[in-house]
Amino acid sequence: MKLFDGTLLAMELRRSYKGVLIWTLAISASLVMVIAIYPLVIDMYAAIPPEFYDLMAAFGGIPDTIVEYYATEGAMMLQLFGSLFAALQGFGAINRDEREKTAESLYSLPLSRMTFYCTKLLRVTLEVVFLCGVTALFSYIGFLIIDEPIDYPPFILFSVLNTLVFLVFAWLCFAMAALLKPNQKPMAAIAIPFVLYVIYTIAMMTQNEVLDLLKYITPFTFADPVEILKTDFQLEWISMTVFLGLTVFGTVAGWKAFARREFTI
Amino acid sequence: MKASHITAGVPLDVITSVNLKKYYGQARGLEDATLAVRAGEIYGFVGPNGSGKTTFIRILAGLIQSTSGSVSVLGKTPGPDSAAINKDIGYMPGESFYYPELKVRTVLSFFARERGCDDIRMRELAAILDLDLDKRIDALSFGNRKKVGIVASMLHRPQLLVLDEPTTGLDPLVQRIFLDLLREEQKRGTTVFLSSHNLTEVEKVCDRVALVKDGKILLVTTIADLVKQKHKRLVVASAADLVLPGLQKNGGNDRESYFEYRGETAPLLNLLAGANLTDVVIRDATLEEIFIGHYKRGNER
Repeated sequence: MKLFDGTLLAMELRRSYKGVLIWTLAISASLVMVIAIYPLVIDMYAAIPPEFYDLMAAFGGIPDTIVEYYATEGAMMLQLFGSLFAALQGFGAINRDEREKTAESLYSLPLSRMTFYCTKLLRVTLEVVFLCGVTALFSYIGFLIIDEPIDYPPFILFSVLNTLVFLVFAWLCFAMAALLKPNQKPMAAIAIPFVLYVIYTIAMMTQNEVLDLLKYITPFTFADPVEILKTDFQLEWISMTVFLGLTVFGTVAGWKAFARREFTI
Repeated sequence: MKASHITAGVPLDVITSVNLKKYYGQARGLEDATLAVRAGEIYGFVGPNGSGKTTFIRILAGLIQSTSGSVSVLGKTPGPDSAAINKDIGYMPGESFYYPELKVRTVLSFFARERGCDDIRMRELAAILDLDLDKRIDALSFGNRKKVGIVASMLHRPQLLVLDEPTTGLDPLVQRIFLDLLREEQKRGTTVFLSSHNLTEVEKVCDRVALVKDGKILLVTTIADLVKQKHKRLVVASAADLVLPGLQKNGGNDRESYFEYRGETAPLLNLLAGANLTDVVIRDATLEEIFIGHYKRGNER
């Protein structure tokens, strides 16, 4: 049994490329703009009264370098919008055929359910990796524009871990679409990264030990840009292992449901 | 269970179903369907809305699974992993939805490649059905989308065509062309299973027909046998009762009476000649009236 079908993959990519390009270019352009205004922001930071330093520390402190600035401003924006994109792409891979009522024709093709599942999952993976690659490239271009030297290994590490976070959302929402009944609104998928992002933000802001534990229920923790892009980074192995494990479990559960899924629209 | 007899790899019964039942939770989809479709025949599946036609067809296409009973298509059991069966089936859903933002040519080429064939047959069928390949799917009328469904199902010259109300929405000219296409496919050895509301089309093209109501098959018969059941219908401009063996009154009012007649024509004409009637209409019962008679008897049971 073949896992992937090239013709189906090409058709799936063809159908979604416009949306992918729009999201990718919109996020990339925003990142470049955020980076490009860094010289102006330095002056703004210099004008902040010292009594606000503690509050700023909750968001990573006043950045000393362009990389730290990127971590607190650009990367966090990238994480929010990128995770929404990943969730929508993952959820829509199965859901869209049912919403547009093309499922009946599509699933009567001589392809196994396994081929459909794996090919659609591959498409989502490629799209997420594409978005991550292009946004990283544009960020790099942004650094070049303002001619600020950056330390590339932490930047690359962040990009890799951030891609993993997006893949976690994409695969989990993909599985969710397979587990839920047909005709669910894509809003159901958006809610997941949005809520987890808010939880992550709360966990990062607070000094409370109990609230700090919230960081373990959100995958953003293991790709925290502020932690990674600062020098004393230590990978949150627990968070990463838990969420990658959950993703594998969700994908298998999604497959079990998809293999028995009935197409009546 | 009736076994499928296999000869040279081709089952004589291309479709067999035995006591097939499908429930969607508490809702009945199909109650009890037992039938066998022989290789090379055109088989009509006729019934009113909600009778279970589409449910049965979706089970054949592997899109849904039965609750109980057994079904076999080309000697194999259809289901979620029907890839091997789907290779030899041309399936046309009742509602033809395809990727709306793409051109017809792109969509059909995709279906052709997935089925391992080139675009020659696609162009041939599009020309026969007068389908514009360069239009976007979302710019097509309902009837033209139906044509896309017909082409998609026939692209790969399948052994079995499973068509869910294929002519609904087609204009009479295209309906005729489509029925000719089906006959051509039959000549090539293709088996056709089609559901329909259109009894004229069933009569024109089908060899056998199953009548389904409330999820149950009421009757399986050949069209030839159905035609034999044809009888005369009389509308007489009188409230009077007429008495003749084979003549049965089945309604009327104070101005006219309706009769069914099974028998020779001469005694009927003699009776009518002596009855002093101001007007009389004699016509053949339509296939539809024969079916309605079966439905009524099904309800009485």
